[in-house]
Amino acid sequence: MITRLIAASVLAAASSIAFAQGDASAAKAKVAMCVGCHEIPGYKASFPTVYSVPKISGQSAKYLESALVAYRKGDRSHPTMRAIAGSLSDQDIADIAAYYGSK
Amino acid sequence: MIRIDSFATKVALSFAMVAAAALAQAADIEKGRAKADQVCAACHGKDGNTPIDPSYPKLAGQAADYLYFALRDYRSEARKNAIMAGMAKPLTDADMKNLAAYYASLPGSLRIKP
Repeated sequence: MITRLIAASVLAAASSIAFAQGDASAAKAKVAMCVGCHEIPGYKASFPTVYSVPKISGQSAKYLESALVAYRKGDRSHPTMRAIAGSLSDQDIADIAAYYGSK
Repeated sequence: MIRIDSFATKVALSFAMVAAAALAQAADIEKGRAKADQVCAACHGKDGNTPIDPSYPKLAGQAADYLYFALRDYRSEARKNAIMAGMAKPLTDADMKNLAAYYASLPGSLRIKP
């Protein structure tokens, strides 16, 4: 009995430290700040240099996740994306990546 | 056999040919394809749409100017990624423009709307 309890609590702990599982439906409330640039055909960001924002729909979800983490950490320099990613939790990033990305 | 009679049509055609030549000089898709097959295809997939690892991006159909600036940032390390720094450092500006034009020209699964 005690062994079973220990096993169950170890399992529970392991699942809670696992990577945040992305939930595309939870992202619907979080993508408002993405839509205004990334869902406008031909949209170009104007600061610091004028060029197209990337297409993110259909991109690999894992790549979108690592790109957002890199912006948040400062490994990518784009100021707008750094500010936006800086406001996101791990769960937010996983949800947004699941929403725009493919498996 | 198509006959071009009108002077205006001839003028318009020659302008179109000059414009096409200027575009081709700006970025050479065929040179981009050759470079891509050597440098990029092993990880991003020969079609630019099937990367070998889900943490690598699909490139096919991505905006050309975005791809060009991303490559420049990897080269300057404004974007820090050990693998991509190694790939981008040997590339010239012309290589980057050619690669960007090539990948933007490919059909793929990237789109604007989710």
